[in-house]
Amino acid sequence: MEALNGLLTGFGVILTPANLYLCFLGSLIGTLVGVLPGVGPLAALALLLPVTFTLSPIGGMVMLASIFYGAMYGGSTTSILLNIPGEAASVVTCIDGHQMARQGRAGPALGIAAIGSFIAGTLGVVIMTFFAPAIAAAAIRFGPPENFALMVLGLVCTLFMISGSTIKGVLMMALGFLTAAVGLDVVNGRERYTFGSVDLSGGIELLAVVIGLFGVAEILSNVETMAKTTLLADRIRGLWPSLADWRASWRAILRGSGLGFMLGMVPGGGPVTAAFMSYALEKRIATQPDRFGKGAIEGVAGPESANNSAVAGSLIPVLSLGIPSNPVTALLLGALIIQGIQPGPLFIAQRPDLFWGIVASMYVGNVFLLLLNLPLVGLWVQFLRIPYRVMFPVVLLLCVVGTYSANKNVFDLWVMLGFGVAGYVLRKLEYDLAPFVIAFVLAPLLEQSLRQSLVMSPDGAMILIKRPVTALLLAASVALTFLMFRRRTKTEGGLP
Amino acid sequence: MFERALNVFWIVLGAASAAYAWSLGVVGPAGPESGLFPFIASTIVSGAGIILLLRPSTQVRAPNFPRSSGLWRVLGVILGLIVMAAGMPYLGFSVASFITMIILLRTVDRSSWLSAVTLAFLSTASVFWLFGHLLGMALPRGPWGW
Repeated sequence: MEALNGLLTGFGVILTPANLYLCFLGSLIGTLVGVLPGVGPLAALALLLPVTFTLSPIGGMVMLASIFYGAMYGGSTTSILLNIPGEAASVVTCIDGHQMARQGRAGPALGIAAIGSFIAGTLGVVIMTFFAPAIAAAAIRFGPPENFALMVLGLVCTLFMISGSTIKGVLMMALGFLTAAVGLDVVNGRERYTFGSVDLSGGIELLAVVIGLFGVAEILSNVETMAKTTLLADRIRGLWPSLADWRASWRAILRGSGLGFMLGMVPGGGPVTAAFMSYALEKRIATQPDRFGKGAIEGVAGPESANNSAVAGSLIPVLSLGIPSNPVTALLLGALIIQGIQPGPLFIAQRPDLFWGIVASMYVGNVFLLLLNLPLVGLWVQFLRIPYRVMFPVVLLLCVVGTYSANKNVFDLWVMLGFGVAGYVLRKLEYDLAPFVIAFVLAPLLEQSLRQSLVMSPDGAMILIKRPVTALLLAASVALTFLMFRRRTKTEGGLP
Repeated sequence: MFERALNVFWIVLGAASAAYAWSLGVVGPAGPESGLFPFIASTIVSGAGIILLLRPSTQVRAPNFPRSSGLWRVLGVILGLIVMAAGMPYLGFSVASFITMIILLRTVDRSSWLSAVTLAFLSTASVFWLFGHLLGMALPRGPWGW
């Protein structure tokens, strides 16, 4: 009942012309970002973050959140028609979606992707409506030691879920902590790692880091190959799936919704993992698994549902606990902090308008996205005609403007360039960059919690073991670390 | 070879950073000091670097860095950004981004001079109009006032 009252408050907040416009604008930009290959939701959020500083916190967050889930909708269009993922969570849609397009079934593939996304997105928000307040209520008694242990568990979960080497993930995370330490000490205001530089005394700018690592590095990777693509269909007909398509897809949509939501909540999970896991699940339980890879509609319906549901799931830990589960939610957390709002267990109680406004906007946004992605699919197809060689200089210019606009400081452009080149090289060496960004955003909170815990304890670090919730969370972290290293050593036959 | 060198870099970086963090103070009479958290992070960087360096050579893959035309395109983008960052305080946003766009279009796309200049002008003007005029963002201006 409390959740329903909250939701009504949220609709009261969102159903104003200004907020509806921002929700629609975010959905539109999100779809465009999803459709255009080479521009991910993270880079788009980072580019538009400075624009939201001029908006109210609710308007800004509604727009940023709608870009995030809008990109999940749009990504499938490029995967199906060009065999290139519009964004990372749509990689798996290329497999069967593009095969369907080659067989002249681009319409049903796009249709089931959009409808599955709508169903899963809406189901995800429904679960979020009831689940997030319950988690926040349970965590409301947490003090600094519990917050510290919870963040440690979140970081360990991130490492557990990353692709590639765990040690490289640990290294990236530690580098994220170190980079965040540059500037003023969060507790006593003392300068660290600034070496007398005025530019460094304010710390390393989050936007410069994110735009560098995920915007510039992505452009560098793309210009290296500059592959030519073939658009499979100019005009899309017959978007509504047939009865046989529905029979084959509805279970996959429901399974994808549930799986995506759960994986979205796990730190390190999120839309990309959810889409891959859903595809693997559908293939495993299929009566004819050999159909997969040859245009099986379940191979589109499941993953597309999963990546949308995962968005709702991934917003739960960040809004109810203040812990981001992936780089996009880390940036959303950063956006809230810049606005002077600290997400965490008290967030729902202190800012019900903001929390419930974001939740309500997701119901509305999903409807906008269904309308944008079904009747307007022909418009998005025309965007796919823009060659990347024309698009990337403009995106690069936007990266520069987005970075500069945060502090009006040219030094940030050098930081962006440095992180862009570093991100490009590290990707080549198979370093996962997600732990870096999550650690960079969480570092001030983690350090503050650790130091507060140690100050309030007469027994030093023993406070982390003596408090039952803290001990339980840290024990879970240790167990997960043990499992992680054991699994990697077994599968890779050497060092993790 | 490159990855081995990078692992050595991580070890040195972590060690230097740990030494600096130690100089800030790790634990004092009033409890944890400014250096504690960075010291822990630096130690992890060095430790991870050592583990990566000790991996058997069979587990170290040579990175697939670009060659010939791919390398030129990547360097073209980096050069464009260097020109942008170095030129913006003196030339202003419009001129610096116009020059950057021409560098990008000539080196990466190998566009003709005419199409590079046209596209550079159109995209610079559009971005300047959108952010500088419509969104009211204070973009740096050159000595000529724009």
